[in-house]
Amino acid sequence: MIEALFEGLFLVLQWKPLAFMALGIVLGFWVGLLPGLGGATTLALMLPFIYAMQPVEAFAFLLGMHAVVATTGDITSILFGVPGEAASAATILDGHAMAKKGEAGRALGAALASSLLGAIVGAFALAIAIPIVRPLVLTFGSPELFMLAIVGIAFIASLSAPGPRGMLRGFLAGGFGLLCATVGQDPQAGIARYTFDTLYLWQGLDLVPVLVGIFAIPEIIDLAIRRGSIAGALPAGRISKGAFEGVKDTFRHFWLTIRCSLIGTFIGIMPGMGGAVAQWMAYGHATQSARSAEERKGFGAGDVRGVLGPGAANNSKEGGSLIPTIAFGVPGSTAMAILLGGFFLLGLVPGPDMLTKHLPVTFSMVWTIVIANVVTVLACFLFLNQLARVTTVRGTVLIPAILMLVFIGSYTSNNHYGDIVLTLIFGGVGYLMVIGGWPRAPFVLGLVLGKIAENYLYISVARYEAAWLTRPVVLILFALAVAVILYPLVQQRRKPAHA
Amino acid sequence: MHKKASLALALGVMAVSGYGVVAAWFWPWKAALFPLVIGIPLFVLSAAEALWVLLGSTERATVQDFQISQELPEPEILRRSALAGAWILGFFAAILLLGFPLAVPLFIFLYLKVHGREGWVLSIVFTAVAWAFFYGLFDQLLHLPFPQGWLLEWSGLF
Repeated sequence: MIEALFEGLFLVLQWKPLAFMALGIVLGFWVGLLPGLGGATTLALMLPFIYAMQPVEAFAFLLGMHAVVATTGDITSILFGVPGEAASAATILDGHAMAKKGEAGRALGAALASSLLGAIVGAFALAIAIPIVRPLVLTFGSPELFMLAIVGIAFIASLSAPGPRGMLRGFLAGGFGLLCATVGQDPQAGIARYTFDTLYLWQGLDLVPVLVGIFAIPEIIDLAIRRGSIAGALPAGRISKGAFEGVKDTFRHFWLTIRCSLIGTFIGIMPGMGGAVAQWMAYGHATQSARSAEERKGFGAGDVRGVLGPGAANNSKEGGSLIPTIAFGVPGSTAMAILLGGFFLLGLVPGPDMLTKHLPVTFSMVWTIVIANVVTVLACFLFLNQLARVTTVRGTVLIPAILMLVFIGSYTSNNHYGDIVLTLIFGGVGYLMVIGGWPRAPFVLGLVLGKIAENYLYISVARYEAAWLTRPVVLILFALAVAVILYPLVQQRRKPAHA
Repeated sequence: MHKKASLALALGVMAVSGYGVVAAWFWPWKAALFPLVIGIPLFVLSAAEALWVLLGSTERATVQDFQISQELPEPEILRRSALAGAWILGFFAAILLLGFPLAVPLFIFLYLKVHGREGWVLSIVFTAVAWAFFYGLFDQLLHLPFPQGWLLEWSGLF
């Protein structure tokens, strides 16, 4: 295990993975800073570029990019009161209040230092989780792995939109994703399913054009709706002034930062909870750290602890959410569901193989998170004043550049115009989902897991017939799926009774 | 807008899953097992969602996902969305007719100049940089085959 840990480090430190990581970090910087473009969308946009890469290079690129998005997202939240990322919204409360009081540098220093600490805690949690979950995962057969896919969809469907209505839409999205995954030649009987006599559809719906369409098109339309500049006017004076004071704040409240990092890691492990939940829970915990009612009043008006908590949790959740993604193929968030797509594009299957045969690759992800965050935080401190100016870019300039990447990225998946048609169709579906309040994460999970879930179901039925349903772990996982579905409903029923 | 979009999606999923189940019914069980296991409950659930909307439920699910900006009046949001959709489809049409190497700079320049009302200098420089990125990375470095546009093929110009 220790050998694999160091092998993972050496893999990342080769020049090619390092170069791809650097490229990913640069992209992540931009994406985090610009409120108009989400981290998950950019992950989807970058998937076409990983085909020719080795797994370590691809994960250095994708994770390097994703790991820093939340860090730079805090910069926009603090300076402009506009979250660079959905997961950076809680930082606004105290971070922007500090900026208005002339303490922007201190708030940024605190956000960056706590982000780094959080990322290290999350990566450490991922590293120590591997030996713990490995024996468990290795006992799983096809029936258990099929049930795990169902549990994953149940988790993400029930939690990505609360309430019975939200849950219904979550399951509809997940089911639709699973059904879309059945398009193409059936691996067992060789039947061409839902291909409408077109050769293009024989190989199934390609992940890249679908994901690019469903994520990028709605965001492009939103940029077009908003027009104007992405963020707003820059605060006067040198932004970096006082940043070191913020770093000292992180160490003054060291244990609070660690506790909030652990909250973020825990939320990350729970599938479907997402970064938005992590930051608010960490913020809630930070407010509880106030010793008196008077001290608590300072939160929301510029208390540095209100910056440290969300900053740490935002970054620690990445390591946490990688745990179920790698070990069970159950992603903790939309971004992780897209990353799961990346696994399949590279020919890797999450689960036992990632903890045995590809263990060094898994550990390389841990190191990528740590290195990417260290580099980002250092670069942020060096170029803080210049970075802030990026947010004054107009949407009208961004749109054609993004759209070019969308169409080229989609087309290069199979060098076929059908890829672009697929992107446009699923772009329309994604837009309707966003407008209609249907969560997109369950759809992605269904589409990504569909093929392997079908394979596991087929093997389970062919080998055990109906008896696979009575295997103990299958029953436990089935009960877990039912509990995941029922718990939010019971909780919602109780609420009015207690009110 | 919210209700109409949800109804359109529910009816769409109903149609897709209904067709999926009917088509799968005639396949060997190996090929039909998964589409039927997924398609039948999906049809029932989408019918439930469609009914929920049609019966006038005003309940709006709060989704943990990206949201379209709602600051503007609804007609203006629809107008701008339609305009964005038209530009996207226009870019696709340009790719089909002219091919990527011509459609990319043409679209970027027109979008900046006509839609964005940017200045001549910015429009030309940005277009040149974007085209250089496209040509350098995809054509020269990655050697990706981009077909000629239909218009150029028909006219026999290239």
